[in-house]
Amino acid sequence: MKEYIKMILVLTAIAAVCGLLLSAVKKGTEKRIEEQILYNVQGPAVKDLFGYTEKIDEIMPKIIGNRQEITVNEQKQSVFVDKKDDKPKAIAFESNAMGFGDKIEVLVGFDLEKDLLTGIGIITHKETPGLGARVTESVFRDNFKGKTLTEKFKVKQDNGIVDAISGATISSRAVCAAVEKSIALYPAIKENIKKKN
Amino acid sequence: MEYIVLAINAILVKNILLAEYLGNCPFLGVSKKMDTATGMGMAVIFVMTFATSITWMVHHFVLVALGIEYLQTIVFILVIAALVQLIEMFLKKAAPALYKALGIFLPLITTNCAILGVAVMCIKRDYGFIQSIFFALFSAVGFALALVLFAGIRERFQVSYIPKALKDTAIALVMAGLIAMAFFGFKGIDSTLKALTLN
Amino acid sequence: MKKSITHEFFKGFWEVLPPFRLVLGLCPTLAVTKTVENGIGMGLATTFVLLCSNIIISSIKSIIPKKVRIASYIVIIATFVVIVELVMKAYFFPLSQQLGLFIPLIVVNCIILGRAEAFASKKPVHHSAADGLGIGLGFTLSLMLISAIREVLGYGTILGMQVMWDKFEPFAFMVEAPGAFVCLGLVLGLINLVPKKA
Repeated sequence: MKEYIKMILVLTAIAAVCGLLLSAVKKGTEKRIEEQILYNVQGPAVKDLFGYTEKIDEIMPKIIGNRQEITVNEQKQSVFVDKKDDKPKAIAFESNAMGFGDKIEVLVGFDLEKDLLTGIGIITHKETPGLGARVTESVFRDNFKGKTLTEKFKVKQDNGIVDAISGATISSRAVCAAVEKSIALYPAIKENIKKKN
Repeated sequence: MEYIVLAINAILVKNILLAEYLGNCPFLGVSKKMDTATGMGMAVIFVMTFATSITWMVHHFVLVALGIEYLQTIVFILVIAALVQLIEMFLKKAAPALYKALGIFLPLITTNCAILGVAVMCIKRDYGFIQSIFFALFSAVGFALALVLFAGIRERFQVSYIPKALKDTAIALVMAGLIAMAFFGFKGIDSTLKALTLN
Repeated sequence: MKKSITHEFFKGFWEVLPPFRLVLGLCPTLAVTKTVENGIGMGLATTFVLLCSNIIISSIKSIIPKKVRIASYIVIIATFVVIVELVMKAYFFPLSQQLGLFIPLIVVNCIILGRAEAFASKKPVHHSAADGLGIGLGFTLSLMLISAIREVLGYGTILGMQVMWDKFEPFAFMVEAPGAFVCLGLVLGLINLVPKKA
């Protein structure tokens, strides 16, 4: 009996100390990790979509400052807002779809006034270099630039308007799927943003 | 149909051992003989499917609910270790023949990076519960397949001439590379299959 | 036979060099050695965990009951792995994205649990520390070696800097799975040519 008590005590003690240590480290790094994700992952894509020409380090505070969290269909969505004269002019938010390698995360930009797609940015992907990875190239992304929302965003093989990358149909299809998902969410998000601002 | 694609993907195209680099330690240690290989293969299929279903539930119902996702690594490995212990005890009583067949491989599986790896992958890729179970099952089958293939080849090599320096692990690695290359060829099937099923 | 602390440290660089002499820790060796940067990152992360867990386990070895020792080791090792995970994401974000899944997998790196069981649980703290540090750094060097070969042949660069001539056609095979296996096998073969106690 004594043996069991000792085992339980020691294990609990170890677990407790480790738990405390971990939550301390977590608290200490939380903010910084969030910043890193914004800076490295979404920042460059947002900057590109909104057409900011300043250096990424200078423009990040503005991008972060104008970020808003809204709830759509009971899901939290982070929306980046581009303001002109303090009124929301354009927005961008993330969408994703399963590509060839893994999830492809796409940032989709919308012009609030004209209800157009301003374009897309690829945030993360695990596609094959030289093939699927080419969805990041502007040649492919231009397929979505300035398009109206009623266009059929599928690859040409599926009777859509998008020129898929040769040899990378799966990746191209995935990006289209992500874009379609975001278009479906757009009306609700637009309403939400307009209300808040 | 979707599951057939998933199966082919997990077993052939993205074989967790030969393409995703998971499960190498036991792979090289256990593939010297056919029967040890089959034993380990079976054990992995069993444990991986079980472990993934439990870790999936733990993640979605406990970690996310409490907001402690960052403890994923430590919680998962503990779940796996505990699970392996439980399975061992259960098999000893309920299916002693199977227990004997699996032998020492069962406890060894705890440190098999494939188990933890697949569990984490299911979370990362946002797989649903049923999807995760199938993914784990097929990945394990892929592992077992690679293992058994390898054992068959290695047994042959026991009686061939190999320079001393390359004996054992070194030549095993080179062979694994060649098999990996063969599996590389399966990448073509994947795209065609996906194109056929995606509408 | 009492071994000096320097012996415990340096054996990690040859006699007990992972993954060549001490055939453990193969998964990361194959997976993250596409570039030298990744190799160094993984090596140092593993060294950190190995060093810390060796020290802690050696310090409290007398109070851990035998029956729960593996469980205790796992908890301790996993704690340091999570710390590494968080710190990496906070300060070395791009690297953490590259290493991805394999950072949490450090917890099942057989080297760490192996040393805890075989060494730290029996030897004094300063020896365990030297052991952990030596083997960890040795491992890092091995990773650097393999990744140097793979990066040079597969991308033509080392640490991102071009080292091959302009018209060099990269040997793409090297950066994919098959290349990793073959490369490791051949290097292991070469190292095996040299007798253990050089």
